Amino acid sequence: MSTALYPLASLVQIEKTPSREDGIPEELELDLRAHGCKLIHEAGILLKQKQVAVATAQILFQRFWYVTSMKQFGIGDIGMGALYLASKLEECPIRMRDLINVYDELLRRDAHRLKYSTGPSSSSAHEFKYIPMSYFGSTFYDLKDALVVAEMQILKRLGFNVNVVLPYGTLVNYLRLLGLTEREDVPSKAWGYLNDALQTPVYALYAVPTIVSAAIMLATRQLGIALPSSPESCWWELFDADWEDVWSVAGYIMRLYRERTPEDHARVLSMVTKKGVRSWLEDQKPAVLLP
Amino acid sequence: MNYVQLEKLGEGTYATVYKGRSRTTNEIVALKEIHLDAEEGTPSTAIREISLMKELKHVNIVRLYDVIHTETKLVLIFEYCERDLKKYMDVHGDRGALDPVTVRSFMYQLLKGTSFCHENRVLHRDLKPQNLLINRKGELKLGDFGLARAFGVPVNTFSNEVVTLWYRAPDVLMGSRTYNTSIDVWSCGCIFAEMISGVPLFRGRDNQDQLLHIMRIIGTPDDRVLRKIATEGQTEGQAQKQYPRYPKIPFSQVLPKASPQALDLLERLLQFDPAKRISAAEALQHPYFSTSQPMYTQPTPFTPAVIAPQYQYPQGQGQGQGQGQYQYNSQHEAARNAAAQAQLALAQPQIPGAGYGMQYPQQQYQTGTR
Ligand SMILES: Nc1ncnc2c1ncn2[C@@H]1O[C@H](COP(=O)(O)OP(=O)(O)O)[C@@H](O)[C@H]1O
Ligand SMILES: [Mg+2]
Repeated sequence: MSTALYPLASLVQIEKTPSREDGIPEELELDLRAHGCKLIHEAGILLKQKQVAVATAQILFQRFWYVTSMKQFGIGDIGMGALYLASKLEECPIRMRDLINVYDELLRRDAHRLKYSTGPSSSSAHEFKYIPMSYFGSTFYDLKDALVVAEMQILKRLGFNVNVVLPYGTLVNYLRLLGLTEREDVPSKAWGYLNDALQTPVYALYAVPTIVSAAIMLATRQLGIALPSSPESCWWELFDADWEDVWSVAGYIMRLYRERTPEDHARVLSMVTKKGVRSWLEDQKPAVLLP
Repeated sequence: MNYVQLEKLGEGTYATVYKGRSRTTNEIVALKEIHLDAEEGTPSTAIREISLMKELKHVNIVRLYDVIHTETKLVLIFEYCERDLKKYMDVHGDRGALDPVTVRSFMYQLLKGTSFCHENRVLHRDLKPQNLLINRKGELKLGDFGLARAFGVPVNTFSNEVVTLWYRAPDVLMGSRTYNTSIDVWSCGCIFAEMISGVPLFRGRDNQDQLLHIMRIIGTPDDRVLRKIATEGQTEGQAQKQYPRYPKIPFSQVLPKASPQALDLLERLLQFDPAKRISAAEALQHPYFSTSQPMYTQPTPFTPAVIAPQYQYPQGQGQGQGQGQYQYNSQHEAARNAAAQAQLALAQPQIPGAGYGMQYPQQQYQTGTR
């Protein structure tokens, strides 16, 4: 296998992702990744897919962008391929046709939002109405083609490294060890942070114990619960997590909640396809001075 | 790297396997061709097989060398093995039955490969003679990981459509979805009995019939066990199902040729209750593999073209070399190799297409598409 990517990205891959190499700034790439994961999540809900398959898809999606640039493949197509693939891996396969319908709806909704994002704020006149496509039209075949290609490209570029470890079992164990299972709010908050983390690259970057430690840290801090953190007995060391890494994971998660301007939103919506990414990159080129 | 496709080696449930030769090194390999379906993309069997086998490196697991991914098909390049165990039994067995020395050697290797999978958190889920490969050194290797699955801590959402009927564990037949490594152990037991007798032990026509075949030999377990397994199946109606009360037939009657120790091991592998089934790693410690009974003094009823290698079986507790590796008895190795070569030369004409250097140029593969 030519492109071997181990389940965690290498330092070189982290420092300079293919998309950044192509001129997409880091912050924008992170926003695009998050949006792609949101689409996977929404598609999962519409398809009533199991959460394990959705989470697996999001992790594969994040891994993919350490070996490929968004200029080459769109986040919409790859998200669709990742969900299709993850559903096979988790033994709850979905029908191609259903998935294509759902993605078509989501992508058209995005296009609709983009169109009206700059005008006067969302009036009911511009409410999105989805008109199902025809199975004999070209849209269906184009999407189907994109889906097959996306699935194959994910497999190929990840060198079939599609094993994914989900963090939930580990969370339950750690909470038990820390004696935090009594209060209901800690487990549910930490669980929520783990889910939100699926919209960040952390599962492609850090080991599960580190990510779980970060979720526990965020949950306990938010709830004002103190955990032993003196140098002799730091709780995260119990789980072989490095404090700086835990902190970095927390940083990735927290940036999800930062305010975005309408322009930021619009820019992300315009870059769901590789065509959108390419035209944005074109616009960034310094204007050629005419004589 | 590219390959010349030679003759067909076998056809499985989802792929065709050809013999191949590397253009650069002349190495003989097996090419497993999987067609990509426009309606479902890459088959999940292929995805599982590749993603799991890449990681599993062991003498008793067929090695995956490379994957060629084109627009229309996937070609998996595997280490070449002479034939699968099914064909081996047809060719070398006495009406299918193998001699005790070979049975013990194969059984040891089968359990080694299986326990290595389990140590690495992989369930094979489709162990049967057609999926076990034998090379000309007499090494047995687990192949066809198309139904295999990595398992984590909770293992309760598996599909229950796995494992070919005859080798399928009773708990799976009853709809259990919480099964684990014990399902592979059951299959190992079925294969063990089949190597001894030459015929599959339980040959049911369908799910229910298969279950009855099992009960007719190992006896109907008591209601408590049945209820426990049925609850794990979570299928309504299964729990109330009544089964005929069959008494247990001693394995010594079913397999009169087997030694007492072989029968004792078989008994532990073929436990109806999955919780009572021995693990593959424990089975390797069974006295069957460490008796002082001399291994090579009995004449075999036929001359095998492929010589079973002599392993150092664990002698009591005195084993424990590296993980998953067994050692050849080096004293005999040279002599055995020479003998194997000589036998192989004689055997060549009987093995269709085994002739190295003989060419069947038909088609060539190119690595990668980009
Ligand atoms: N590495 C190999 N060397 C020789 N023969 C093989 C090899 N792999 C497979 N075969 C033959 O091809 C048959 C089908 O292969 P298998 O991997 O079991 O495919 P399937 O998944 O379609 O059942 C096997 O039963 C065996 O006879
Ligand atoms: Mg097979």
